[in-house]
Amino acid sequence: MMPILSMVVLIPLIFAALALFTKTKEQARAIALAGTVIVLLLTVYMYFNFDSTIADNQFEELAQWVPSLGINYHLGVDGISMPLILLNAIVLPLLVMFTWNDERKSPNKFYALILATEGAVIGVFTSLDFFLFYIFWELTLIPLFFMVSIWGGPNKHHAAIKFFIYTHVASLVMLLGIFGLYFAAWDMTGTPTLDIPTLIGQFQYIESGIAKDMIFLALLFGFIVKIPSFPFHSWLPDAYTEAPTAGSVLFVMLKIGGYGLFKVMLPMLPFTASPNLMITIMAVLGSVSILYGAFLALSQKDLKRMVAYSSISHMGYVTLGAAGLVSLSVSGAMFQQFSHGLIMSIMFMSCGVINSTTGTRIINDLGGLAKKMPKLAVIMVFTFMASLGLPGLTGFIAEVSVLAGSFINLPAYVIVALSAIVITAAYHLWALQRAMFGVFNEKLGTVVDINGYQTFSMGIIAILILYFGLNPSPVFDMMLTNSEHIISLMAVMGV
Amino acid sequence: MDMMLFAPELTLVLTGLAVILIGLFIPTDSKKILGYLASLGVIVALFLTVASLGTEATAFNDTVSIDALSQFFKIVFLVVALLFTISGIKYTEGNSHTEEFFALGLFATIGMMFVASANDLMVLFVAFELASIATYALAGFEKKNPKSLEAAMKYFIIGSLSAALMLLGISYLYGATGTTSIPGIAANSAVLASSPMGIVAVVLLIAGFGFKIALVPFHMWAPDTYQGAPSVVSALLAAGSKKMGIVAALKVFVVALIALKADWQIAFAILAVVTMTYGNVVALNQTSVKRMLAYSSLAQAGYITMAFVVLTPLALGGGIFYALSHGFMKAGAFIATAAVTYMVLSENKDSTDPDHIDNFRGLGKRMPITALCLTVFVFALAGIPLTAGYMSKFILFSSTIQAGFVWLAVIAILNSAISLYYYAKIVKYMYFLPTDGEKISEPFPYTVAMIIAVIGVLVIGFWSEPFVYWAMEAAKVLIPGGM
Repeated sequence: MMPILSMVVLIPLIFAALALFTKTKEQARAIALAGTVIVLLLTVYMYFNFDSTIADNQFEELAQWVPSLGINYHLGVDGISMPLILLNAIVLPLLVMFTWNDERKSPNKFYALILATEGAVIGVFTSLDFFLFYIFWELTLIPLFFMVSIWGGPNKHHAAIKFFIYTHVASLVMLLGIFGLYFAAWDMTGTPTLDIPTLIGQFQYIESGIAKDMIFLALLFGFIVKIPSFPFHSWLPDAYTEAPTAGSVLFVMLKIGGYGLFKVMLPMLPFTASPNLMITIMAVLGSVSILYGAFLALSQKDLKRMVAYSSISHMGYVTLGAAGLVSLSVSGAMFQQFSHGLIMSIMFMSCGVINSTTGTRIINDLGGLAKKMPKLAVIMVFTFMASLGLPGLTGFIAEVSVLAGSFINLPAYVIVALSAIVITAAYHLWALQRAMFGVFNEKLGTVVDINGYQTFSMGIIAILILYFGLNPSPVFDMMLTNSEHIISLMAVMGV
Repeated sequence: MDMMLFAPELTLVLTGLAVILIGLFIPTDSKKILGYLASLGVIVALFLTVASLGTEATAFNDTVSIDALSQFFKIVFLVVALLFTISGIKYTEGNSHTEEFFALGLFATIGMMFVASANDLMVLFVAFELASIATYALAGFEKKNPKSLEAAMKYFIIGSLSAALMLLGISYLYGATGTTSIPGIAANSAVLASSPMGIVAVVLLIAGFGFKIALVPFHMWAPDTYQGAPSVVSALLAAGSKKMGIVAALKVFVVALIALKADWQIAFAILAVVTMTYGNVVALNQTSVKRMLAYSSLAQAGYITMAFVVLTPLALGGGIFYALSHGFMKAGAFIATAAVTYMVLSENKDSTDPDHIDNFRGLGKRMPITALCLTVFVFALAGIPLTAGYMSKFILFSSTIQAGFVWLAVIAILNSAISLYYYAKIVKYMYFLPTDGEKISEPFPYTVAMIIAVIGVLVIGFWSEPFVYWAMEAAKVLIPGGM
């Protein structure tokens, strides 16, 4: 069998190196498109050969790397990672299409960084060894750092450094947690291993309750800063807003924090010394993020900043759903990651288009754009509806599953989150009304609608939002299988 | 036959003598050949050492031993010596004292190698001095450059002081135990533990080795010396001579004075924390790249010192492995600054601070290979994954957690995060700031040396297994039964 996972990880990285050596924009974008399309084809092939009825890791690859420390090259995908790989594989070629005609300095580096990010992110989703996982985890930082600091907005250096230091420190704390788990297991079994499934399995046998809680909290911290969740979200508005459009979309594709929550945290949760405390921590962070993010979004003047804050609010559902601990809420949270990736890509693309044609993103300076940009207006209204949770689109399914599922165990937190729904609707509709409808602001000068490439890529994503909104089962089924597997672990413990 | 065990050292002795003799008879223009000869000698010695990995023997009445520890460190020293001699070919171009440069470099390497093999404190001290005296002269190699002279003078005075302290410490050990043999002292350590002489000896020895390893507060000479000495020599000092201090300290403390562990462990803990924090924080503000690398070198020594605190086989193995990685990273980084110095001086002969960070502006366009190599070195020093630096930190930091020193690991990891800032600054200058300088051709020997070091950094980072294995074997020599 061919090592399909290695190919999915390495092809973007190899094409990134190739793109770096190109001389013109035409060559660079062609390489980027070729690389991302190959990854898409491989992922689609993988998807159709994926068995969504079992929760095991599939397409596994295993080779020894540093045996004396128990480090292996171990890859595999399950129902948690498969949809996220699919999400990246679908959006990245469309992102390349979206930027097809843009003019910018050093296009070779630009496309190389897009490809490098794709390889690193898929690497995180496929790694089943903590050493490898951490390498890819850190590798995602570097291209995004350069993405912001080279092509970003006026405040790019501040935003890039803040993003880097914030998430780097969080990764180091996570690394401490990994070390703790590694040695606790090593002391028990006498053989070192960094294998993720093995270590998660051995977590329950660690004797010291304090050690278990410390390990859990250190890992949790690493993940929730990446999600990001209140109160560790302050890097996000700066980084998302200052990044170029493609960078913002790449940030949205960076679903590694939530992934870690499902893949590593939930299977360990019932075996911590104080599972109820951990559930409360996650539930509080999730529900506060939903409400607080929505309030902040409501008060933003800059359209892109508003979208960035709405992202915090939406990712709160991921944390809350994970803490809900019933299969419906957990799979809903996984689906929220998938749905949020699609919706936010269009939201940021829209902000990018508006900014480049009108020269501003301040909502009050815009107005009546729908008349001048009809194609953008259609797609944007559609996406805003998806984002605020209109039934029939992906956002609705995800949020309803999370809220309904979590209500069983965490009714109080769900009520807090529910109160945010009104605000969510308010800031979406209000922004839409001020920016797109009403009287056109003549000061904006000549305004051009989105070009064919942009329409194509945004249109395809919009169609997918509708498709998965009407028929979520192609990805929801595998999420449900894995959620039920996680919940069955809980049942054993009686949590 | 005992002598055959020392074939690598003998090769270097013969090469060194040959370099001096041939140098007397050939004109300055053709002295380039001496650099090739010296490099060849080092390569042969390196092969002989690698081939003898796994040999265990003692020689000369048990005063010298061959084991995994000694061979591992010899490889570190020879690798650094190789980078030194290759880049020296360019550095000494047209200099009439070429033969002295290479011969001193080779003799210093022999001294370091005998320190790694020493099984007796007298051998250790003599070898230590052989390496030190040769490097004093090398630091002052640019006789007309006041900075180089200042560097040599400081290094010499402080080095002599530290040698005196060390010798005094050794004499206390001899007085208390009646032997200078390292295993002999370990066997009589009960005497030391019960007498105040033991404590005095520990204090003197920590100060003596502290100077060589440049631990704060014994570090005052290091930034001035590393900055003032020729960059190629700084590479030898930071990457080679410092490791000699570490291997000597490993032998004296972990083997001979293990019974006094409680006394020196805490001292090393404080020194490690203070050194790494001071080094990283002061490095943040430097405008001279060599000085920045000097402070970063302090920080790295602080990390390695953690091995003396944790004292588990994994930590010692990690420290030893770190020494190898650091050899490649630091020597490479100093050679890259040598290449930049060469570039600046070839444009403006009177430039007073050729290693100022402003000279690194736009280096990515002016000297693409040097810039790329330096990027790899600083990222490795910062501990970015898939480099030797990451693997080293991974083992060393994780071992501190294993042993329960979580606070130490947290401090080290935070330091590591701080260090990223100044390393990234170099990269920012090289790739993101504009320059009006022209692209220039990169000196070939420097490029070769840097590429060897880059390959070393990446191979150790990626294909770590054999290096980790031998580092762990070396650690077993220090504490055979584990702790």
